[in-house]
Amino acid sequence: MRLLEPFQYGFMIEAMLMAALIGTVCAVLSCYLVLKGWSLMGDAVSHAVLPGIVLAYIFGAPLAVGAFCSGLVCASATGWIKSHSRVKEDTVMGIVFTGLFATGLVMFSKVHTDVHLNHILFGSLLGIERSDQIQATVTGTLALGIMLGRRKDLLLYCFDPSHAKAVGLNTTLLHYLLLGVLSATIVAALQAVGIILTVAMLITPGCIGYLLTDRFGRMTMIAVASAIFSSLVGTYISYFINAATGSCIVLVQAMIFLIALIAAPKHGLWVNRKKRRATETGQSEVVTPAG
Amino acid sequence: MDYLLTPFHYDYMVKAILVSGLIGGVCACLSCFVTLKGWSLMGDALSHAIVPGVSIAYLVGLPFALGAFVSGIVAAVCMGFIKSRTRIREDAVIGIVFTTFFAAGVLMISVFPSNINLKSIVFGNILGIADADIVQMVVISTVTLLVVCLKWKDLLLHSFDPNQARAIGLNVGVLQVTLLTLLAATSVAALQAVGACLVVAMLVTPGATAYLLTDRFSKMMFIATGMGVGTSVVGAYASYFLNGSTGGCIVVLQTSIFLLTLLLAPRHGLIASRLAARASVARFRQRAASRHPAIPEAVRS
Repeated sequence: MRLLEPFQYGFMIEAMLMAALIGTVCAVLSCYLVLKGWSLMGDAVSHAVLPGIVLAYIFGAPLAVGAFCSGLVCASATGWIKSHSRVKEDTVMGIVFTGLFATGLVMFSKVHTDVHLNHILFGSLLGIERSDQIQATVTGTLALGIMLGRRKDLLLYCFDPSHAKAVGLNTTLLHYLLLGVLSATIVAALQAVGIILTVAMLITPGCIGYLLTDRFGRMTMIAVASAIFSSLVGTYISYFINAATGSCIVLVQAMIFLIALIAAPKHGLWVNRKKRRATETGQSEVVTPAG
Repeated sequence: MDYLLTPFHYDYMVKAILVSGLIGGVCACLSCFVTLKGWSLMGDALSHAIVPGVSIAYLVGLPFALGAFVSGIVAAVCMGFIKSRTRIREDAVIGIVFTTFFAAGVLMISVFPSNINLKSIVFGNILGIADADIVQMVVISTVTLLVVCLKWKDLLLHSFDPNQARAIGLNVGVLQVTLLTLLAATSVAALQAVGACLVVAMLVTPGATAYLLTDRFSKMMFIATGMGVGTSVVGAYASYFLNGSTGGCIVVLQTSIFLLTLLLAPRHGLIASRLAARASVARFRQRAASRHPAIPEAVRS
């Protein structure tokens, strides 16, 4: 019964639950991000939290608050500079987040803290502290609540901002709401699971859903299911091969993405290829079923 | 005075300053193409994607740079393939591929304990750079600069307008691969100077700053390269006094210059464009006033 061994350890079960919870929140968020074209915002914000953490440490404020503010600064500065200059959005994002990260690094090397950079950046699912756990749970639940509560508004905003404006939604508010939820989620996830896993969880599940369906509700469901599945399986596998937990989860998720990429019923490589062949030989109506 | 010269008494500082300057210059040169092409986050992705290559190279005893380079190219090819064949947006594809590669690298490092220090990949370690690495950087930089010098017109046209480039008979595929290869090679070199997280700054900020200052590409190249070399040298020098991370100092310097430029650039800066907007409104009002003197003041303003 060696296969059941991981379940005998409290820390393994806690790690699985934690990963699944954060995975769920990130997966829901990732659906919006994929639609909005903000996939790399997660990457940017998760690096940009560093100066906030160091400043919070210096002033004795809770680290999460500093991280959240700093992430928000990164996201809003990116938007502001983009709309006020001729530099493209991806470039601005690169400049802003590296600038913040570098500032954080320089400050960090001047301050003698007991915060470990490795701890912040790589996180460790297996050794989460109780306070981080509670914090992640509360933030995650709040973020999830907000996203579910304003689901329709956010969806319309992501699909078509001008339409959202036309029907009378406050798009500025929605913009910052989404950014706020993103920053909060990242801060909560970062301390619990580390930077790579956070970034991956904010992109991959949404893309898996996007490949498999055209309906947003289903896309969210698929994203959440794949995130939970990969969290559980990844953590479980990591016990046996004695490897970094976060990486295992990311790789399981990547595997699911790969399968979806190849075999997705409507948008997969396999089907696309068949369709292309069919059009080339002029038999599209025979091979392609309705829709 | 003596105090200011102390960094130059140390061999490792002199080396670090020179190497940073070189790498900064080469990266800045490429950054012009990168910003025009909209590949800004590619540098970030490539620099993270090299980790599995490094650990495989370690396991089979090949040079790290080779593994890193191959791994970067494989990642770039994967991104190109997925992007062209599916409906997923480019930024999402970049994100998925690089996180997967990075995770695979971290996994390998954690399963096969080696003396690869993930920290030095992520944060860079220019002060402790080995002579072999310096040689390798110099080679990469020379080749990159050479290719850019010889092919800059083709690369430029390709970055601005790939369709036009194809129409006049350039081999767009080859140019694309060339640019990607240069980018991967330079990322590998820059990695050792500033670390994976900050490579993207070296590959983006100088180009974007120069883009705000001029409309001519040749000038943009000169400004960017000058800025790259300058900030890297000064940043490395300053890091001695700050006792802080070299990469951090270089990038903070670059970002500050970018912000200053954003504010003050003569034509595309915030202040200049606001003044220009005001002036044009004033002109419009004046014209309206001279053409339709009957319209009351209240309506005109």
